[in-house]
Amino acid sequence: MFAFIVRRVFQAILVMVVIAFIGFSVQHSIGDPVRDMVGERVSLAEREALREQLGLNDPVLAQFGRFCWKALHGDLGTSYFHKRPALDVIVSKAPATLELVFGATVIILSFCFPVGIYTAIQPRAWFSRFVMAVSTIGVAVPVFLTAIVLIYVFGVELQWLPTYGRGVTVNVGGWDTGLLTADGLLHLILPSVSLASIMLPLYIRLIRSEMMEVLETEYIKFAWAKGLSRWRVWLLHAFKNTLLPVITVFGVEIGILFAFTLLTETVFQWQGMGFMFLEAVERSDTALLVAYLVVVGVMFVVINTIVDICYGLINPMVRIAGNP
Amino acid sequence: MRGWQRFKKSYFFYSFRRDPVALTSFTIFFFLVLVSLFAPAIAPHNPYDTSTIDVMDAELPPSWMDGGEERFWLGTDIQGRDLYSTMLYGLRTSVAIGIGAVLFQGILGIVVGLTAGYVGGRVDSLLMRVADIQFSIPYLIVAIITSAIFQLAFGLGRFEQLAMPLLIVIIGISEWPKYARTVRASVLGEKQKEYVEAARVIGLNPARIMYRHILPNTLTPVLVISTIQVAQAVMSEAALSFLGLGMPVTKPSLGSLIKAGFQYVFSGSWWISTFPGILLVTFTLVVILFGDWLRDVLNPKLYKG
Amino acid sequence: MKRVIMVCLALSLVLGGTATAEMKTLRLALASDPETLDIQQQLSGNMLEFSHWVFDPLVRYAQDMSFEPRLAEKWEQIDPLTIRFHLVKGVKFHSGNPFTAKDVVFTVNRMKQSVDFKGLFEAFETPVIVDDYTVDIKTNKPYSLVLNMATYIFPLDSVFYTGTDEKGQPKDAVVKAGYSFANETLPSGTGPYRCTFREQGVRMELERNPDYWDKNSPGNIGKVILTPIKEEATRVAALLSGDVDFIYPVPPQDFDRIDKDPKVNLFTYTGGRIITVQMNQNRLEAFKDPRVRQAINLATNNVGIAEKIMRGTATPAGQLSPKGYAGHDPALVPQYDLAKAQALMKEAGYENGFEASMIATNNRYVNDEKIAEAFAAMMAKINIKVNLKTIPKAQYWDEFDKQVADFQLVGWHSDTEDSGNFYEFLAMCPNKETGYGQYNSGNYCNPEVDRLTLACQTETDLTKRTAMLKQIEKILYDEAFCVYFHWQNHSYGAAKGLDVLPIVNVMNFPYIGDLVWN
Repeated sequence: MFAFIVRRVFQAILVMVVIAFIGFSVQHSIGDPVRDMVGERVSLAEREALREQLGLNDPVLAQFGRFCWKALHGDLGTSYFHKRPALDVIVSKAPATLELVFGATVIILSFCFPVGIYTAIQPRAWFSRFVMAVSTIGVAVPVFLTAIVLIYVFGVELQWLPTYGRGVTVNVGGWDTGLLTADGLLHLILPSVSLASIMLPLYIRLIRSEMMEVLETEYIKFAWAKGLSRWRVWLLHAFKNTLLPVITVFGVEIGILFAFTLLTETVFQWQGMGFMFLEAVERSDTALLVAYLVVVGVMFVVINTIVDICYGLINPMVRIAGNP
Repeated sequence: MRGWQRFKKSYFFYSFRRDPVALTSFTIFFFLVLVSLFAPAIAPHNPYDTSTIDVMDAELPPSWMDGGEERFWLGTDIQGRDLYSTMLYGLRTSVAIGIGAVLFQGILGIVVGLTAGYVGGRVDSLLMRVADIQFSIPYLIVAIITSAIFQLAFGLGRFEQLAMPLLIVIIGISEWPKYARTVRASVLGEKQKEYVEAARVIGLNPARIMYRHILPNTLTPVLVISTIQVAQAVMSEAALSFLGLGMPVTKPSLGSLIKAGFQYVFSGSWWISTFPGILLVTFTLVVILFGDWLRDVLNPKLYKG
Repeated sequence: MKRVIMVCLALSLVLGGTATAEMKTLRLALASDPETLDIQQQLSGNMLEFSHWVFDPLVRYAQDMSFEPRLAEKWEQIDPLTIRFHLVKGVKFHSGNPFTAKDVVFTVNRMKQSVDFKGLFEAFETPVIVDDYTVDIKTNKPYSLVLNMATYIFPLDSVFYTGTDEKGQPKDAVVKAGYSFANETLPSGTGPYRCTFREQGVRMELERNPDYWDKNSPGNIGKVILTPIKEEATRVAALLSGDVDFIYPVPPQDFDRIDKDPKVNLFTYTGGRIITVQMNQNRLEAFKDPRVRQAINLATNNVGIAEKIMRGTATPAGQLSPKGYAGHDPALVPQYDLAKAQALMKEAGYENGFEASMIATNNRYVNDEKIAEAFAAMMAKINIKVNLKTIPKAQYWDEFDKQVADFQLVGWHSDTEDSGNFYEFLAMCPNKETGYGQYNSGNYCNPEVDRLTLACQTETDLTKRTAMLKQIEKILYDEAFCVYFHWQNHSYGAAKGLDVLPIVNVMNFPYIGDLVWN
């Protein structure tokens, strides 16, 4: 286990160095961050002086070395646009993204189990057929299209729900949350529904197929033969055994959910990390971009390590230490 | 001809004919590919030819609605381009990028997977480590970050000129590990078999063994993933274009058409994003359905990752 | 049920903050929020707007472009180099410090330090204090635009911004990247609102200054909550669904919808930003021929663009200066005549046309991308094949400076609300040393235009000056030095009851301090 973690840490460092270097090597050809920092009337000479002062004219390797040295001390540079340490900016945007992922997860979890189980035990009911048809189509609908339709129906036509931003947020111990105000919760509904719409059909299908597979096994037949009550068989015997594969997949897919926040955040102007990233691209805020890449790299290495460890704990048949 | 006869008698063709979903989805898929191939011939207008576009025709509704004109049966977009023609060209672009990206990632993945699986040892662990690392980051993030970097590195102007090949490379890069892992897994299985042993004994060179003997036996899973990957690639392209990191509006794909239309949904010009949206969903849906069927019939051992 | 309603009511009261019956809360949505809290660190529309909320200028433009006294209650010319300003007495900054002449001196000196403002204030000397409420603004040469520039002077609280902060840095430092006291600290101004909260890119809150010096200000908005909404469609949706009360700019495609909705009103007002395309004569030989340039202008259906793409919210232009500017000549009207354009092309020997590259922004001006696309399509009719690239503004100006394309789009709003500014930046021969012609990527160069423009700078006789400005405008029109499109109108969407028209002006800064909500 220890060796495994050590290797992961090395892997993480490698990823980050590579990512940061890629970021830096394109930096000099990236649109000029100085241009967005000054008024349109400012002369070329003034801008050049500012570039010099910011160290943007140094050789790439020198800038990269400086960046790595500072990164070792926990400083990922200063955002040109926000004029604050890039890490601070990213950290301040993280709650929004995490709450969006959280909202989507809550929706997925509260629907996928009952619906998945129902469609498995009643595959012929009209509701099951309907759900299966919708979820098949659902896989093919891109998330931004879902979001546009939701905005049009609930925001523009019915005017029931807000369609942008996070609404009123409260700061609890440095964490800016929208989960504690009515307004914040209302704002969360549409974005998290559209984010959930990517994964929900997949989960319903996954749970259904796993459950149906389990229902075919010998020990379930044995349970029926013993004359146990229906619900006992379904929930205690069958469902419990579908959980393991579902949990594993969920661990991996949470990362994908995070990836799709980039799209939902854009459509709903949700002020999270994805929105910030795309704005940074537009503004050529290279310092923030590189910091974002590094943070995302770290995040995924951490998520994957945790998932692997959990997987190893749940399923002792997997040896996480060695190569497959 | 004999091959066709044999194919007609095969279990594969039998189950294909018996499955209405497979039949319908394949027909629609085939039809859409044909349409996109022959878009320049079918489309009544050429949306790339700026001299035929008149801004005074902008945002006309579909022909059956008030204010619509016969010339443009699905209406026009904000530039005055015929929406129907633009959609056909957009589908063509999307399909080209989708298939191109799958070819690119397939070739990359197969070469890496074959090498890793056949050569083994350090090469294997190095290549697979790289694949693992990339695989641990969702493909969409990889694609978005890569295209952002490409866009900035090339400068936006050049990026737009080269958008199509670049998108093929970007989406290809973001998805190759899937192929590499699948191919490697089947190579590992094949390697133990006697025919490989035999080929090695008679002294064939490794490259020949890899590509002529092992590769054909690993193609079934590759084929199965490829269908789903086409749908995936088309959706990735749409997502990138929607974020403004993909095809430019002058040469729109379905994704960039939806993006362009999004701004007009509120003003009542719903058709600009609705029709391309429906076309996109139809295309990906039939590809997914067909891919599902293919997987069930061929039932290869897929590498679950 | 009743209890639920009570709780909701209580909650809404708490959330609504200090809103009282007569002082309403205005929820405002703009495309973006102020870049920084230091009003002299960056010169941009957002920052000037913010300056009008939290600070006051010495003078400001009224709707008829005359100067309205603000912190300067009156002024007089003492000699050709000096204007004496008499300041309003008894004004206090938000910090409680009194406002005096030394604050004006501090502010002008600080602007001369700021990268963004020093160019504009080149002609200005350090002002001289006469007494606490009288100050002489001096220039180093006779300068006709002192009052125009005084609209940029928003006096800072010199006491508040002097000394060193807890990080040991001087409080008056103007810092472009990274921390500075002025960038991070909620400012102390004299304006109608004090800024009470700011999270960049997310939210800004302003509260009415209870001790505002201008007792005649009719404004009855107690609190302003600003949310930036970048996506145009979302901004409009937020207004229509009642999430916000006031938005601008409104994208032209949504005018009808806002107009028809009974709960909201649409306001438009003539603006001064001209949209043009420059034809680079150094890159393309054909553009050296005035007939080609005229043909291009004649083939551009700018009335059609204004009508269809801009939905009638732009005024088609045949010159740089909008109506109301000294250089504006009503005789110079836009023309559209395809046959004549084709004839001119033939006459110039370009009957078969040529290929030309073009770049344009896609998020800088209203519908810029669509205008450029329409222009490219129009050029095809005189056989000019245009290869168009559109670029976001963050990357555009670099390409623009490098002159990477034959056609380059540029919009211009005169900083001084005077015609001369247009010519200095867009029409004078490009000169790296003097900085004139900095945005003239067409490389049009006419010594007569240069001579007249420079003469206008120091000409203080208004009649003579106006005649000269008109002469320049005529030369540029005759030589078709660029392609004229239109002047953008400003557009505002507001909830019923908001009396927007009295507070808008040709600059895009509605004076929200004077906004009345009936």
